[in-house]
Amino acid sequence: MDEEQLIPHADELEWLETNSFLVESEGEDDLPFIAEEIRQDDGDLPFSAALPRPHESQVSRKRSWSEEDEGSENIGEIIKREESGNKRRALDFLEREQDEDWLRYSPPQKKAPAVHIASESDVLMVEPPVKEKILSRFAVEIEGDCVPVTGPYGDRVYAKMKSSKTDIEGPKKQRKEHLKYGLLSEPIGIIIKKLDHEAFAKAFEENDCLSCHQTHSEVPTFSEKLWVEKYAPCSFTELLSDEQTNREVLLWLKQWDSSVFGSQVRSTTDDVLSALRRHSSPVQHKRFSGGETFFEQGRAAPFTRQSLKSWNADKHIENVNGFSESWSKKATVDHPLEQKINASDDRSSLTLESKILDAVQIASVTADSKPKCLVIDEIDGALGEGKGAVEVILKLVVADKKAKVEKPNSTQQSLSEFSSRRGKNSATLLRPVICICNDLYAPALRPLRQIARVHMFVQPTISRVVNSFAECDIRSCLNTLQFLNKKKETLNILEVGSQVVGHKDISRSCIDIWNKIFQNGKSNRAKSSTTNLNGHGDFEFMYSLLSNRGDYDLTMGGIHENFLRLSYIDPMMIKTVTCLDMLGVSDSLHQYIMRTQQMSLNAFQPPFAIAIKRLIALVDKPNIEWPKSIQRYRAMSLERKDLLKNWQSKISPIISRHLSTEYFAEDFVSHFLHILVPPTLRPIALHLFSEREKDDLAQLVDTMVSYSITYKNSKAEPLKGAHNNGTAKDVSILILDPPIGDFINFKDYQPTHLELSLAMKQVLLHEVEKQRILRENSGRSLNPGNECNKDSQDSTITKLEVLHDIITKSASVKGNDKPRLAMLKLENEDNHKNLNSKSKKIVSNTSVTAEVTGDLKKPSRPISFFDRFRQGCNIDSKNHVSNLQKAATAERDSRPFLFKYNEGFTNAVKRSVKIRDLLL
Amino acid sequence: MQIRLKCTCQQEECREWSIIELQGVVESHPSLVDHLQNLEIGRLCCVSEGNYTFTVGYHELSGTKMALKKPLLVLKKKKVGDAFESDSSDSSGVELEVIGIIRHRILFKTRPMALISKPLVKDKKNL
Repeated sequence: MDEEQLIPHADELEWLETNSFLVESEGEDDLPFIAEEIRQDDGDLPFSAALPRPHESQVSRKRSWSEEDEGSENIGEIIKREESGNKRRALDFLEREQDEDWLRYSPPQKKAPAVHIASESDVLMVEPPVKEKILSRFAVEIEGDCVPVTGPYGDRVYAKMKSSKTDIEGPKKQRKEHLKYGLLSEPIGIIIKKLDHEAFAKAFEENDCLSCHQTHSEVPTFSEKLWVEKYAPCSFTELLSDEQTNREVLLWLKQWDSSVFGSQVRSTTDDVLSALRRHSSPVQHKRFSGGETFFEQGRAAPFTRQSLKSWNADKHIENVNGFSESWSKKATVDHPLEQKINASDDRSSLTLESKILDAVQIASVTADSKPKCLVIDEIDGALGEGKGAVEVILKLVVADKKAKVEKPNSTQQSLSEFSSRRGKNSATLLRPVICICNDLYAPALRPLRQIARVHMFVQPTISRVVNSFAECDIRSCLNTLQFLNKKKETLNILEVGSQVVGHKDISRSCIDIWNKIFQNGKSNRAKSSTTNLNGHGDFEFMYSLLSNRGDYDLTMGGIHENFLRLSYIDPMMIKTVTCLDMLGVSDSLHQYIMRTQQMSLNAFQPPFAIAIKRLIALVDKPNIEWPKSIQRYRAMSLERKDLLKNWQSKISPIISRHLSTEYFAEDFVSHFLHILVPPTLRPIALHLFSEREKDDLAQLVDTMVSYSITYKNSKAEPLKGAHNNGTAKDVSILILDPPIGDFINFKDYQPTHLELSLAMKQVLLHEVEKQRILRENSGRSLNPGNECNKDSQDSTITKLEVLHDIITKSASVKGNDKPRLAMLKLENEDNHKNLNSKSKKIVSNTSVTAEVTGDLKKPSRPISFFDRFRQGCNIDSKNHVSNLQKAATAERDSRPFLFKYNEGFTNAVKRSVKIRDLLL
Repeated sequence: MQIRLKCTCQQEECREWSIIELQGVVESHPSLVDHLQNLEIGRLCCVSEGNYTFTVGYHELSGTKMALKKPLLVLKKKKVGDAFESDSSDSSGVELEVIGIIRHRILFKTRPMALISKPLVKDKKNL
């Protein structure tokens, strides 16, 4: 049945005919017999008598069919089949009904020259008297039932069996005439209209015919049918996918014959060859009205079904992997022979499992009783609930394999080996399973990939798809054509170009779009120079391109970052300003859209890009970089905000509430930095400050403490090091602790505020620390309670320690100051300066500490032994701390001796041993 | 050469001394090196039978009383004057007087305990 549906290519037909000629001539003896039978069956055939060589035409077709199926090895069966022609025809009739849709719409083809040579006389004889089609090269052209007839030289015609409705013949003939002159002889619109009309008429006729045949299940409504389905591939040769793949899949399906139909395993090459031959020689079955099929399945029926199977399966295998957007994709799956399961629709594994089991195990009890080939579409989508479909299939296969291994039958085993990729034997019923997926490497399919045979379907090449104007998406082409047909428009090139309908999925990457914007293709220019219309087309194209992409934020961002790199000629900066204006407007628009969620306004976005293209597009290929600045600056902004937040949390709320992020960088930071670096602060020792300067310093320290800003040590960054290269290398650099300078660290921006000298910074650091400690202290001392007292005592201790450190350090530095200074003086003038200031700072430092110690003594006297001891130790090193010394001497008598414990010691050899060494 | 020991044990009770053995050193304050006289080193208290504590500076040591295996004598060297020489035929001119005998020592071998809290110090001062 499937092979009958095939309409072969003319050249393929020729080849087949020449090849099969010998075989057919051999079996000619049988032919008359069959022809006789047929005539007996259909007594009402009006043209059977008129057929010039009934035996030749009718029977040879049968023969060729049988040839293909069985080859020369099974001639006996051919005869048997011929004997049971009745039954088979009845069967065929059932099958044919399903295929009839296709037959009607299969595009008619030119007659092969062989036909004319071989049966010229016959055809001519028949045709002139009867204007309606009785004998035709194509089954499509014959209304109602027809019988395929093969001439002695292999040419095949179809003879009408019953012409009950002659009224429809008219359009047929017309159509045939058109076809003779080729497709383009008339505008396609007219042809389409005619076809439509014809289809409509046929549908009516079909309805009538079908009403008398109870088995027909589907009433085709052609006017409503999508062309995608209408022109779905019906035969092997119409498949658009790779020939190699097609054959492989066919071969694989043929492997199933033995298990599906119970017939013997045949050599695969024979099968493929015969199948191919069958495909190329379409045969139309006679339709038998009263055929009964059920009890005839014994011998002949499996055979028919087998061929059928291979046919339908082929169609579906086309879909396997779905890589080809080819004709048949989902259209043919609805065929009654097969059960379509859309895995992505039936997400739940339970329903899926039951469906699969239904399909695989339950024998079809319908009249046609064809074996089922399970096709699971979109299996990679069936992952919703634990890979339902995949698991079910795996279960089936595993169970099957176990069963197979136990079976002694060797043929069965070889079969199970073949149950690869799409096909699996189910333990109960042996049916192939075809799974179609879009993403072969989806993780859920991994187990399936191991047991299945994989066929990849690549996108059909352009040469294969002759009319591939919509980017090789044939279904899209068809949809567009139908759409145009619905609008009753005539096609012309311009409209095809401007049709958006066909461009369903044309979305490009952003890079492509930017390229298109920045690059003015030569072809585009040429076109636009010739006609305005094409310029308009260009606009349309760009518009659709941009709107298909949709991501205007990114698109405009890319333009913004890249357009300044273009070397367009713009001496007055007019273009640049205009572009920036447009980008600004686009940005404002985008913001507005995002805020108000009026997405319809996005329609006004593409023109900006197009206008920019008009302004600055060049012929050269632009060097486009992906816009990164948005992400970069966004991250930086977040980081800065975080910093600010942390800083604010440290400042007392009275102050921090006036710091808002909105104006912080713009209005606050630079001024604040100016305040932090007062120009009045002279880099001299503190005790040399005048009263006013001391006040200034106190105020500065107060400010810094209130804003909880201090200086902190940091490793000399290369940039900073270059800035003050005067300082000695070992001195680390002091920076502001919350680095608020970074907030205004813009590119190419020179901050106007001054930079304090390192010594000054150190002074400030110490001052701030002191002040901070004092404040904390006072804050705590306000609180009553023992704990606070203790704390304050502790803090006093730490304070004293700090002071002590400072004192000793300064003393040591002081001693060495002179020689170092002299040395460095020779090296560098700057060094000298800095050191000078440093020594000054140290002096000031000591004076400060002296002051502070004086202050500190009053509020809290050191009471603990530790402090006393510490201070006592330092008595002779410094006379600044005379207070401390006095206190120590006062206690001297009470504690003149101290005990020093002698720690034990060992003279054992100590060395570090690592576990690693022990392990070796 | 013969050195005569003069013991007055028979006449009066022989005074018994005791050794204090410390693991460590008692250091004086560096400023007091020259005038150490009459300074109190520390306080020795008998806590219980055989147990003593010794407080030096801000350290308190605890120790035990142990018997020496061999008792030690504490001697005092005396230059024998000419007057004595006539009395005795001995011509050495040196006489050792037994001042005391040491049969016990108090051993402080543990790590000292620091006394740094103020009230404790004051208490001790009051003592």
